[in-house]
Amino acid sequence: MSEFAVTTLLAQSGSNSAILSFSIYIAAVMVLAWLSNRLLQSKSFLSEYFLGSRSLGVWAFALTFAATSSSGGSFIGFPSLVYTHGWIAALWIGSYMIVPIVSMGLLAKRINQVARKTGAITIPDVLRDRFESSGFAAVATALIVFFMAFNLIAQFKGGSVILQTLLRDVPTFQVASNGMADLLQSGLRLSEPISNPGYLMCLFVFTAAVVVYTAYGGFRAVVWTDVMQGFVMVGGVVIMLPLAIYAVNGLGNATDEMAKMTPPNLVQLSLTVESPTDEVFSIPPNSWLISVDADQRRVFRTAARAQIAAGETSTRTDNGRGIAGIELTYARHVQEQTATPFDREIAVEVLESKPYVTGAGRQGVYVTGPGPHATSSAGFLPFSLAVSFFFMWTFSGAGQPSNMVRLMAFNNARTLRRAIFTVSIYYSLIYFPLVIIFCCARVLLPGWETESDRIMPEMARVTTELVNMPWLAGLLVAAPFAAVMSTMDSFLLMISSAIVRDIYQRNINPHASEKTIKRMTYATTVTVGALAMLAAISPPQFLQDIIVFTGSGLSTSFLVPVVLMLYWPRFNRHGALAGMLGGFATHVTLYAAGTYLNGGAMTAYRVFNFHPFMVGMFASLVIGIVATWLTPAPPEHLVRKYFHAEASR
Amino acid sequence: MNEDEPQSTRPEYDPTYLHSLRELYVIIALFSVFCVWSICVCFNLGYIGPEESRAEVPMVLGMPSWAFWGVFLPWIVVDIVAVWFCFFFMQPDDLGETHDGEDLAEQASSLDDESESSYE
Repeated sequence: MSEFAVTTLLAQSGSNSAILSFSIYIAAVMVLAWLSNRLLQSKSFLSEYFLGSRSLGVWAFALTFAATSSSGGSFIGFPSLVYTHGWIAALWIGSYMIVPIVSMGLLAKRINQVARKTGAITIPDVLRDRFESSGFAAVATALIVFFMAFNLIAQFKGGSVILQTLLRDVPTFQVASNGMADLLQSGLRLSEPISNPGYLMCLFVFTAAVVVYTAYGGFRAVVWTDVMQGFVMVGGVVIMLPLAIYAVNGLGNATDEMAKMTPPNLVQLSLTVESPTDEVFSIPPNSWLISVDADQRRVFRTAARAQIAAGETSTRTDNGRGIAGIELTYARHVQEQTATPFDREIAVEVLESKPYVTGAGRQGVYVTGPGPHATSSAGFLPFSLAVSFFFMWTFSGAGQPSNMVRLMAFNNARTLRRAIFTVSIYYSLIYFPLVIIFCCARVLLPGWETESDRIMPEMARVTTELVNMPWLAGLLVAAPFAAVMSTMDSFLLMISSAIVRDIYQRNINPHASEKTIKRMTYATTVTVGALAMLAAISPPQFLQDIIVFTGSGLSTSFLVPVVLMLYWPRFNRHGALAGMLGGFATHVTLYAAGTYLNGGAMTAYRVFNFHPFMVGMFASLVIGIVATWLTPAPPEHLVRKYFHAEASR
Repeated sequence: MNEDEPQSTRPEYDPTYLHSLRELYVIIALFSVFCVWSICVCFNLGYIGPEESRAEVPMVLGMPSWAFWGVFLPWIVVDIVAVWFCFFFMQPDDLGETHDGEDLAEQASSLDDESESSYE
C-alpha cells in the first residue's frame, strides 16, 4: 500500500472517529436539554431559564465558568499559535495562572449579593436597580446586543469551520454536503452552484444543534452541557499530553530540537508536469513536493489547491501568481520528509520566496522570545504586548457580561471558594499542557504552517495511531466542539435575555404573564439563533479580529462601572454611564483609527504599542471617577441598601 | 460619608461588603506580584536580540529554563496560593435572601402610578 493511501486511510479513520464522537456528543447534549426542560416546568420561569434559580453547586458553577471562557480559540487558535511561534506562547497565555482568582474573586461575592437584593436576573437588571436608572440599563442592553450579535455570528462561523476541518475527509459527509447543496440550488433556483457546500452543511447542523438545546433547556441546559464539555476538554488534554511526550521521546528532546529549528520560507510555486494532461490534474493543499538541484534537496508544501488545466503542463497563469506554500529550512526535516506520491512527476519552480521577517535563518527563535513572525519586525510577542496580554486575559474575562451572569448563579459563598480553586486547577491542567503538546507537534509534524488551524485534529490522529488507539482520536477532537458550543450557547442566551427581560419585560410590558414571557423567550432564542446562522452564511471578513474586538469592547465598557458600583458607595449613575461610554468610545475610536490608517483592514491603533483594551480600561476608570466627583452623591437610600449592614439581608 | 458625623450615628457597613473589599485588595496585590514575576523572569532569561541565534538553551524538566522559572513555577505557586486564598482567607459570607421579582414589582407599580396620574 502506498504511503499516500496509508495517510488517506489514517485521515479517514480519524475523521470517522470525529463524526462518531460528534454524533454521540450531540445526542448527549439533547438529553441534557430535555432534562433541563423538565426541571424548568417546576420553577419560576425567567429566573430558572436565564439564571438556573441561583442554585449552582461547585462543579456546575466552576465548569460553566471555565467552559464559557474557553472558546474555540483555546483548542484551535491557541494550538496554532504554539505551533507557529514556539515556546513563547507559554508567556502569551501565562496570565491564565491568575485568571480564576481575579475574574471570579474580583466580582463574584458582591455581584451575587447585590443581584439577590432585588431579584436581578441579567446584568442590565443589576445596573438598573443599583442606580435606579432605566436609561442606564437601556445603554447597557444596547451595548450587550451590539457586541454579542457580532460575536455570535463570528462564533457560529468559527464552530462550523472547525467542524468542517474535522469532517472533510469523511466520504459520507462529502456526499451529504453535495446532496444538500444540489437540493438548495434547485429549491432556491440559484443560477450558480453553492461554492462551499461542506461549510454550509456544518453551519446548519452545528448551529441547529446549539439553538435547539439552548432554546429548549435554557440556562440549566447550557450549564449542564458546559459541565460535560468541561470534562471532555480537560480529558482530551490530559490524555494527549503523555502521548505527545512519548511520541517525541521526551520533552527535553523536543525542546532541544526546537532550538535548532529555523522558520520556513513563504514561497509562490509553479508546478509543471512533463506532458499535457488529458483532464484537469489536481494537487491538493498540504501536498509535499521535493526538488533536487545540484545535490541540493529542497522540500516544499502547498498551502492551496493547485490545478493544471486539461491540455496544459503547468499551473503557471497569465497573471504570474503562483501556488502559495512553504519551503522547509530545518535540516533534519528537509532530509527526512518524503514527497506526496502522484501518478506523474511534478517539477517545482520557485517564483517567489520570502523569509520570515523575524527569525529567518536564526536558530533558537522557537525556544526564546519574542518568537518568530512572518510579517512583524517586532516578533510575535514583544515586551509591551506581553504586558498587554497578561492584563487582557485576566481582566477581559472578568469584564464579560456572560461571565458576570454566571457569578450571579451560584448558591452560596462556600461554593464560590471551592469553585475558584477548582477552576485554578482546571486551567492548570489545560493551558500549560497545551503548550507542551503543540511544541511536541512542531517536532513531530513539520510543515503545518500551511494550515496551522488544523494542527489539533492532526496531532490527535497521529498520537493515537502511535499507540494503536485510533478510536481515542474521537474523544480528543470532541474538545474543540465542546469549547465552541459552550461559548456559543452562553452568548445566545445573553442576547435572548437582553431582548426578553431587559427590553420587553422591563420597558414595554412589566405585567406580561408568565405564559407570554415563556413563549416569547423560546421564540426569541430560536429567532436570534436563526438570524445569526443566516448572517454566518456570508459572514463579515476579519473573523478573529471581530471576536477580539467584541470581547475586549465588552470588557472596556462593563468592567470598570461594575467594579466601582460594587465597591464604591460614592459612585453614581453619572459616573457609571460616563465610564461605560468612555471605555466604549475609546475602544471603538482606536479600532476605527487603526482600520483607517491600515487602508480598511480591521486593525487596532496601539498607543505606545499597548492593546486598545488597556487604553480603554484606563480611560473608563479616569472618566468614571472624574464624572462621579463632578456630580451629586447618590441617594442615601441606595447607599444604605447596597452597602450598609441594616439593609443588607 | 460625612467625616464630622459622630461615631455612634455612623452606619455600620455590611460585613460581606467589607470582606469582599479586603479580598479585592489581596486579589490586586496577587495579580501584581505574579504579573511582575512572570514577565520580568521571562524577559530577562528568555528574550534574545533581533540578530541573535541560540542553538542550545538551558533547560529545566525539559522546558526552556525561562518558561520553567517564569511561567510553570509561578503557575504552581498560584495554585498553592489559591488554596490559602479560597479556604483560609476568603470569608464564607452570607449572601442574603433572594428577592425574586421584587425589582419588577416595584417597576410595575411605579409605572401604574405614572399612568394613573397621567389619566388624572
